[in-house]
Amino acid sequence: MANTVIGSSIVIDGEISGDEDLVVQGTVKGKISLKESLFVEGSGIVEADIETQNVEVAGRVTGNINASEKVELKSDCRVVGDIRAPRILIADGASFKGNVDMDAKGR
Amino acid sequence: MAQSEQVGIIGKGIVIKGNLTGAGDLVIEGKVEGQIALKNHLTIESTGNVQADIQADELTINGEASGNIDASSKVAISASAKVAGDIKAPRVVIEDGAVFNGSIEMEVKLPEDV
Repeated sequence: MANTVIGSSIVIDGEISGDEDLVVQGTVKGKISLKESLFVEGSGIVEADIETQNVEVAGRVTGNINASEKVELKSDCRVVGDIRAPRILIADGASFKGNVDMDAKGR
Repeated sequence: MAQSEQVGIIGKGIVIKGNLTGAGDLVIEGKVEGQIALKNHLTIESTGNVQADIQADELTINGEASGNIDASSKVAISASAKVAGDIKAPRVVIEDGAVFNGSIEMEVKLPEDV
């Protein structure tokens, strides 16, 4: 399946929704809601509330993240916002400011 | 040109509502509503559905597009395309089988005595 890639020179201001993986190398402002995984790469800048299954951040994210499965903050990422997910990984070197809610209920 | 970095793809399962701007090439296989302003080549694939005013250098439409189109070099509407809206471009190609409703302005240089 062809992945969706928002290239490094692309800027989207608005809402993105869908049921496949999304790779952000450019800039997205607004809202992202996906049924699959979101990858914010090193050059990616996201200023949006995010609702997905999995999120992997290597770039910059400002906004609240709500993942049904897993959030992974890679080293060198910069994230500001609240994260809510059952599994959250933060790598050494990552910069993060916000609340973490792992919702341990039901486990 | 580093193609892999410059090309953006909006896949089949993706819906974007809002403004989309950029300098790289873009391929749309999904759905976009709003506005698109690109400095390079935009391709709307046969699965793509765009309801937006489009500004681009070059535009290739294989799918559905509705909205006004302003291209600085060329618009190509292929046989599988369905397009509604006004087109402004120096070169416009419409293939046999394409469906198009709207006006076309090619900025033709008129002879001075007309």
